[in-house]
Formats: sequence, C-alpha cells, structure tokens
Amino acid sequence: MEAALWYVLTGTRGGPNRARILWTLRQRPRNANQLAETLDLHYETVRHHLDVLQDNDVVTRGGEGYGAVYLPSERVRQQWDVVESILGEVDIEPERDEQAGTDTGVDTDP
Amino acid sequence: MTMLIDAMRVLIAVNLVLLGVLLAIWVRNFAQFRSKHTFGLTLFAAFLLGESALALYLFAFHPVLAPWVADATLVPRPAQIAMVSLRVLELVAVGFLVWITWD
Repeated sequence: MEAALWYVLTGTRGGPNRARILWTLRQRPRNANQLAETLDLHYETVRHHLDVLQDNDVVTRGGEGYGAVYLPSERVRQQWDVVESILGEVDIEPERDEQAGTDTGVDTDP
Repeated sequence: MTMLIDAMRVLIAVNLVLLGVLLAIWVRNFAQFRSKHTFGLTLFAAFLLGESALALYLFAFHPVLAPWVADATLVPRPAQIAMVSLRVLELVAVGFLVWITWD
C-alpha cells in the first residue's frame, strides 16, 4: 500500500497534482468540479486524477452521479501520517494561501 | 550482415530517449517533493541513462569499437543476437515503466 501510494503521488507525471487533490480532499470532501475550481485545473484533468486515485484506493467516492463528492479512502485516513510524510514538501498553493490568510487574520485581530 | 547491430543501435537510442523522459519527470518531482524516494528514482534514471549513453557511444561512435562490433567476422551472428536481445528486454522494461509513470 505504502509503495503504491508514494509512487502514485510522487513517482508519476501527474503525481504532484494528485498530491494537491488528496490534500484538498482531506480539508473537506469535494466533487470534481469544485476540485477543478479550487486547484485551478481542467475538469478533465481532475477526472483523470480521481480515476487513478480511486483505482489505487487512495480516494473513495461518496454518492453517485455527476456531483458525487470524493474523500480520502479509509486506508489512507488510517495512515494519514504516511501521506503527510510523503507530502511534506509539496507545494499546495491554494490551500496554503487560504490558511495563511486565516492565520494573519487571527494574528492581527486581537 | 550488420542489420542486427544497426537494430541494436536504434534500440539503444530509443531506450535513451525513454530514460530521458523518466529522468525529466522524476527530476521535476524531486524538485517538488525533495523526498528520498524521488531522489532514488532520479538517480536510477540518471545512471541507467548513463549506461545507455555509454553503450551508444561505444557501439555507434567509438572509432575502434564501433567498426569492430559491426564486423561479422569479429562479432558472429549468435553474439549479435545476444546483444540485440539484451536491448529488446531493456526496451520492454523501460517502456512499461514509462507507461505507468506518464499517467
């Protein structure tokens, strides 16, 4: 599992984007459209990455049909520390920006 | 009859290109992840690419070795077949690695 996980996330051409997708889904489940918007990727690209991630049991689909949301699989949630060590240095800009924004907001308010 | 040797040279060149593709992907991923795994993949591709580059130089461009390897009296047919077979197997191996890595 661990070997497949790190290869899918860091060994392949689409790995970095898949890592961003998994990281984003960890924050909260989203459907393909929302992912494409959040990460500024093409819808078809997101669909392809979700298929690969699902194929490797990295994410699971919640619900059916066009708007079905995706979330990290049970196996991945159980070993999230492994995922975090894999993704340790990956540049996940949109999420990081959001968090940085919140952080400064909290810091300057009091 | 040096057709097999020519085929071997082409196969080495194709392997070289495929390994270049792998190296490019893995160098880019290493730049992003900076992990032990991506570093290992990068080194693996770099060294195997070095092997193919050296083979291509020795068997296609080296002033002494290249004509020698293409001379059927010096390298008879069974040896030619053996040399091509090694490169065919390498092409299959690297080809599948590119297939799963391009994803």
